[in-house]
Amino acid sequence: MKLINSGAEAKIYSEMLFGTEIVVKERRAKPYRIAQLDSELREARTKSEARILYEVGVAGVNAPRLLGLGKFKIYSTRIEGKLLIDDGVGKIGFSKIGEQLARMHNANVAHGDFTPANIMKSGKEYFIIDFGLSEITASVEEKAIDLLLLKRSVEPGQYREFAKGYARISKDPKTVIARLEEIEKRGRYQVRTLA
Amino acid sequence: MLVIGIESSAHTFGVGICDDGKVIANEKMMFNISDKGLIPGKVAETHVKNAPKTVEIALKAAGIKIGDIEGVGYTRGPGLGPCLQVGELTAKSIAKRLGVKIAQVNHGAAHVEIARSAAKMKDPLALYVSGGNSQILKSSEKPFRHYEIIGETFDIGVGNMIDNFARAAKLNPAWGSTVAKMAQGGKYVRLPYTVKGMDFAFTGLLTSAIKMLDKASKEDVCYSIQETAFSMLCEATERALLLTKSRELCVCGGVAQSSRLREMLGMVAKENSARFGFASNEFNADNGGMIAFLAERMLKAGMDSNISECGVEQRYRIDRARIA
Repeated sequence: MKLINSGAEAKIYSEMLFGTEIVVKERRAKPYRIAQLDSELREARTKSEARILYEVGVAGVNAPRLLGLGKFKIYSTRIEGKLLIDDGVGKIGFSKIGEQLARMHNANVAHGDFTPANIMKSGKEYFIIDFGLSEITASVEEKAIDLLLLKRSVEPGQYREFAKGYARISKDPKTVIARLEEIEKRGRYQVRTLA
Repeated sequence: MLVIGIESSAHTFGVGICDDGKVIANEKMMFNISDKGLIPGKVAETHVKNAPKTVEIALKAAGIKIGDIEGVGYTRGPGLGPCLQVGELTAKSIAKRLGVKIAQVNHGAAHVEIARSAAKMKDPLALYVSGGNSQILKSSEKPFRHYEIIGETFDIGVGNMIDNFARAAKLNPAWGSTVAKMAQGGKYVRLPYTVKGMDFAFTGLLTSAIKMLDKASKEDVCYSIQETAFSMLCEATERALLLTKSRELCVCGGVAQSSRLREMLGMVAKENSARFGFASNEFNADNGGMIAFLAERMLKAGMDSNISECGVEQRYRIDRARIA
């Protein structure tokens, strides 16, 4: 196994399977978390991610395909390319990214960590990776949070293109974007909301 | 430049004096919380009684007279309205009487800036954790120097969450350090863990922890609520470190006084080759020193306000606060 990336949550290795290169994602132990909480989280997230990878594949989203599942490990196909966070991208790319997210939301999967660290450019296509915090949900709130996370991590012009692409494919863009605006307006200094 | 800073956003009435970037006095008087929590009107009443005395003690500690003061700063917000107004009034009266300039300071920005200075950091990623606020911050120069919020709580601040729990568990005083003490020797019980990217939410954890008090020992629930909440903060912070590629991490605000949280964040920083730092506890608790510190820099940069524009803003978000 060859280490190809070491992220916040997992180590990514490449491995050969019948002559084809595949990816193994292993959730690493976090030294700051107590062992019990840590292994519970890692196991639950690994299972959930595998299920979601499968669902996303069925929905035809550009994402790695699920090959197998271990206790803290997921086996999937390998995407060749560069992460958005490492590689500058023009505005045109962002509308394609919006389309991919919309396709995923149409299948009722919310990503949960939709930032440039989890978007990959491969050839002319964009792939969504790392479904570690994703959820199978119809919740408009969760979908809007995906948009919010991306909006916070990119330039305003890039976000506008992204939103155009999203609106093109999404089954219900208006509701999601309206919720996004509502979330942004929400005050968070709730000094005494709970007594 | 000798600047006096007034802080009164919550239960603390603080007066600090800063001289050329050095805090030479940092005095405070506090509303006694015990098991009741904060009742804004009552806290403000206590502040009114304490204000003149606290100013007097601070001047004495700095070894100066009121006439030596060359500038004034106070907390514009965020905080409890009635409490903020006491500080505003105190600051305005001093500025008017002495005919000196006045700066309106954002409470959170002051926490971050004093921590950044204490830790000798250039441009750190900051985790700001207090009663009402829990935010992951990074500075930005556009369109002016300010802190951008890259992650924050979707509902309540981590400090309020722990204080609310402490009241429900009938701990006295009902705040974080009592929970931390009770947590010693506790065992882990499962509680909800909610992180969304670089954001997090605490109300689900609070509700479940209160319910859990019927099923598990107080020690166990205290231990678990603390471990769960801090792990959530660490996970979001680690993700932000990775995204920003920052090589410096600091923690500030009231909850930054927790030695367990510091220990955990230290590990997060180490894993990501970042340097970790924080200010001493007197600056993590609410205090006037940090207000004086940031006010001095703002005044020197010409960011003073007319007395007539001075006011308070309960929800003065840090990303709207211009800093020097």
